[in-house]
Amino acid sequence: MANEAVPNNPILQDKATIKEAIKRHKKEVYTPVVPEQQFGFIHNNVDCIGCRACEIACKDKNGLPPGPRFRRVMYVEGGTYPAVYAYKVNMSCNHCAEPACLPTCPTGAIYKRKQDGIVDIDSSLCIGCRRCEAACPFGAPQFIPEQNIVSKCNMCVDEIDAGRKPYCVMACMMRVLDIGPIDKLREGNYATKAMAPHEKDKLVRQVKSMADPELTNPSIVFVAHSQGHVDKPKEPQ
Amino acid sequence: MNGQDWKDKLKASLKMDRRSFLKTTALGSAAIAAGGLTVKPKEAKAFAYEPYPRDDELTTVVTSCAHNCGSRHMLVAHKKGDVIVRLSTDDGRYQQGGAFGKDTFEEPQVRACLRGRSYRSRLYSQERLLYPMVRTGARGEGKFKRASWDAALDHVAGKMEELKSKYGPTALLDQSYAGASYGVLHKSDQIEGLLGRFLGMYGCRTSSWSVPSYEGTKFSSRITFGTIQDGNEDDAFAHSKLIIMWGWNPAYTFHGGNTFYYMRLAKQQGCKFVLVDPQYTDSASAYDAWWIPIRPNTDAAMMAGMAHHIFANNWHDQNFINKFVQGMDAGTMPDWAKDKENFKDYILGKYDNTPKSPEWAAEICGVSADDIKKLAQMYATTKPAALKASWAPGRNAYGEQYNRMAAALQAMTGNIGVLGGCAEGIGKAWHAEGVAYPYDEFANVFYASIKSDRWAHTVLNYPNVKREEIGLWPGGRAGDGVIPNIRGIFWQGSDWFNQLTNINKEIQAINKLDLVVCNDSTITPSGLFADVLLPVATHFERHDVALPWYKGHYYIHRPKVIEPLGESKTDLQIYTELAYRLGGADFGRRYNPKANRDYFMYNDAVDEAFLREWWENKVMHHQHVTMPWEEFKKYGIYKFKLDRPHVAFQDNVEKGVPWETPSGKIEIFSGQLAQYDDWTKTAYGHEIPAIPKWIVPFEYLGDKEKTAKHPFHLISPHPRHRTHSIFNNIGWLRETYEQEVTINASDAKKLGIKTGDTVEVFNDRGRVVVPAYVTERCMPGVLVLYEGAWIDLDENGIDRAGNPDMLTLDEPSPAGSFAYNTVLCGIQKTDLAHKPGWDRLATARSHVFRRDL
Ligand code: SF4
Ligand code: SF4
Ligand code: SF4
Repeated sequence: MANEAVPNNPILQDKATIKEAIKRHKKEVYTPVVPEQQFGFIHNNVDCIGCRACEIACKDKNGLPPGPRFRRVMYVEGGTYPAVYAYKVNMSCNHCAEPACLPTCPTGAIYKRKQDGIVDIDSSLCIGCRRCEAACPFGAPQFIPEQNIVSKCNMCVDEIDAGRKPYCVMACMMRVLDIGPIDKLREGNYATKAMAPHEKDKLVRQVKSMADPELTNPSIVFVAHSQGHVDKPKEPQ
Repeated sequence: MNGQDWKDKLKASLKMDRRSFLKTTALGSAAIAAGGLTVKPKEAKAFAYEPYPRDDELTTVVTSCAHNCGSRHMLVAHKKGDVIVRLSTDDGRYQQGGAFGKDTFEEPQVRACLRGRSYRSRLYSQERLLYPMVRTGARGEGKFKRASWDAALDHVAGKMEELKSKYGPTALLDQSYAGASYGVLHKSDQIEGLLGRFLGMYGCRTSSWSVPSYEGTKFSSRITFGTIQDGNEDDAFAHSKLIIMWGWNPAYTFHGGNTFYYMRLAKQQGCKFVLVDPQYTDSASAYDAWWIPIRPNTDAAMMAGMAHHIFANNWHDQNFINKFVQGMDAGTMPDWAKDKENFKDYILGKYDNTPKSPEWAAEICGVSADDIKKLAQMYATTKPAALKASWAPGRNAYGEQYNRMAAALQAMTGNIGVLGGCAEGIGKAWHAEGVAYPYDEFANVFYASIKSDRWAHTVLNYPNVKREEIGLWPGGRAGDGVIPNIRGIFWQGSDWFNQLTNINKEIQAINKLDLVVCNDSTITPSGLFADVLLPVATHFERHDVALPWYKGHYYIHRPKVIEPLGESKTDLQIYTELAYRLGGADFGRRYNPKANRDYFMYNDAVDEAFLREWWENKVMHHQHVTMPWEEFKKYGIYKFKLDRPHVAFQDNVEKGVPWETPSGKIEIFSGQLAQYDDWTKTAYGHEIPAIPKWIVPFEYLGDKEKTAKHPFHLISPHPRHRTHSIFNNIGWLRETYEQEVTINASDAKKLGIKTGDTVEVFNDRGRVVVPAYVTERCMPGVLVLYEGAWIDLDENGIDRAGNPDMLTLDEPSPAGSFAYNTVLCGIQKTDLAHKPGWDRLATARSHVFRRDL
């Protein structure tokens, strides 16, 4: 398609050249950060009542106008009356191990913290080009028209630095949303109220309708609904 | 995990602090853009875009949410100077022995819901009332001009004197409600509020006695158990083996400090859940409940069918019945009433040759006989089991019969007074000391009072009104049976014009009045119809203590967090000043004994004195709390630790304490109701049977004639993103849920309606325009439209916002329950536009993200 749209651009006609260019670009702008420890989220898709206290707490903390939502509780429902089901998938930024957003940023505004793997956007460097928004497979970066910048969840770094947990986690009325070191969360070895002990084997990296975690290795794990499982074996680490 | 654990882990995991990290990282140098543009390397950092004050750089003040939702959660204000920068909630730090992250079973954090968390946006909203305003246009037109306090209060006082002398002691209608002022001192309420006492002491007041939320349920609890304190504390739910949520959606209402959370703990212990409701709610999905869809208003029939099956199989607890229950069967009837109907024989069909069998019930309620039997067996044989008969199915024509029928089921299975069982009902549990304001005989509303949703009928038909039409309370200051001549309305913490039934009739009535006064902190749809708007300080701007009135055992200190915005004053300041203007120092001092006239300007010391006295005399003395007032103020919250989970009627069952009914028993057969001979002289106006019975409602899906014209039954439950009408103006919350009508997918298909289509819902009483939400989660024939949207009428009187009370019937049930959920209507596609809010912004549809077919 792209080739047809710009038939006269010799560079774009050569796929190998394009690949080469992307590689070079990535190398120039981005040295992947391997954090000492990666923090991530856990969310219980079934026990979540979908109240969105987490969303509003986040909006209040980050001073967001109506519109952009750093945290998004998505409602999924299915079945046929009266045999119906419903569950929630709650996602903000997944602070991915290999963030898709980061290398797309032309100003280097997006960075990944070494100590905990938090991915954040420095808003004073953001020029509002919205490339990261398009790159993220999970819809995390949010364009704020009033400020003409893109902003997103930073796992409440200020609270993390102060030794506390993020606002959304501390808002959750059902205690089904939490953070922790993602490897431990994935193994089910981290003490959290987000899951009951017997739910350990329901932990998944991906739920139905969610982008393939292979794309960015997102730091999130879910207690999935029986209808929310993807038809794939649980990913090995 | 406790707070310290988390902190230690976190510190260990971080190893470096942020500053040293930034120094050593090569991150800044990555900012070289492709294409030759060179940017000066700069460290990228969080919150670089503005001075972002971190929580620890701000002043922290513990306070609470203050709405009429049945819960009361902590809000923590983080402020800079006199401005609240952000809000957080309980994180375990603000109690005695607290620490970050502390969240135990006995003392769980009381975390605020989405509504509470949005409060900053309500506090600083464009709809805030900042100055007294006087109407200049027509009622409802919304044209006002600013006035001084002096001029506004003079106008009100002058009019009050005029109406009282011309029309007598019933001329002013008290329509206060628990809208925004639920505290021990600054209380707005239909019962025992500041306004009621003010008008009562002034000697000109008509009150409204029926409570919109739960009058049917209240009646049932009073008649059956002799009290409305028939509730368990929320932690008791964690001990149930079976919880039947009958029309109950705690995922929306929250209903108590941690009700929803303790139910999650019950689920983890293997508790099974059932939902009986026309909708598959989020509560059903979160607790993985067996959903039994039921036709609205037929709950009492289904319960009768269950009772029949339990009796037929001898699953009832005859021991419990013999010991504690009156009138469950022939053997438990009082001697004087042996010839009257008892419950069991009614159920078995002895009196009318109609056994109330599961098959009989199935015809009425649309639930199969097999499911009725299955549920009856589950309930009768699982111990302990909680049948939580919520308020919503009681907001019907004859809603009281549903609640009384539920009480019969609870009693026959012996699930009363045991941990894990449930006798709710109203469900009010632990008793808080709720009164710090001056309290006397004038706080009592029960004279010259009418059923709350009959005021328009009274005004429009005066003097040709019969007492039974309006539910006139017997006795009365102006003489028994004297129909009130209502000429003015006062609103305090109340948006009743928007919230009572049949709004079109209210519009006709309000135009006949001479005075309408509205105290509120924001403009409301009711306010648009007022003559005078008096700006009221929010609970962030005055000193108080918050109490949970439904479930939860704690007090939250609520200091004045910021100075009142604009010229707003507290309700207590306003009524005190009015008292001085109407009756001089005598009335002023009687109304507010701790204050002088300068209270209108300086209220801090007086409010502190009221609160300290309440704490020391009531909380410390009556409730044996040892923490001094000053210490309580320092912490912010006092959480009670109860010796055992609070379970209603435990002492009655275990120690033989009599119930507070006339017979001392659980009255399934009510001696009081059996002995009325002239019902027109009672507040009910119409007969109420002495035992619970299924009675055909005014309109419902079983009515062949009425459904021919209006084939759908509309219910209007409590929304999650508003507390009734409060917060309808908050953009953040409108983003979480759009005012829309829920319709079953097969119904929608027949009508060619798709999700997002704009439709008109209508009947003979009114018309509303809303988007449709098409789903399999709703029973066919049923429409759901959440209450509380702010009416937005077009030139033809069609409500473009979608307030269901344009369609509801202002005919209450005999016991006073509002018939909010007794509505037949039609639905069709329309070209008219829907208006989601007064600011006319469209809201994003975020409700259903993906439909997974
Ligand atoms: S979720 Fe999206 S925005 Fe967040 S790190 Fe991953 S790619 Fe970037
Ligand atoms: S971690 Fe903070 S920024 Fe991210 S979603 Fe939660 S509250 Fe919002
Ligand atoms: S606050 Fe908790 S229960 Fe509510 S939507 Fe968020 S994750 Fe779900």
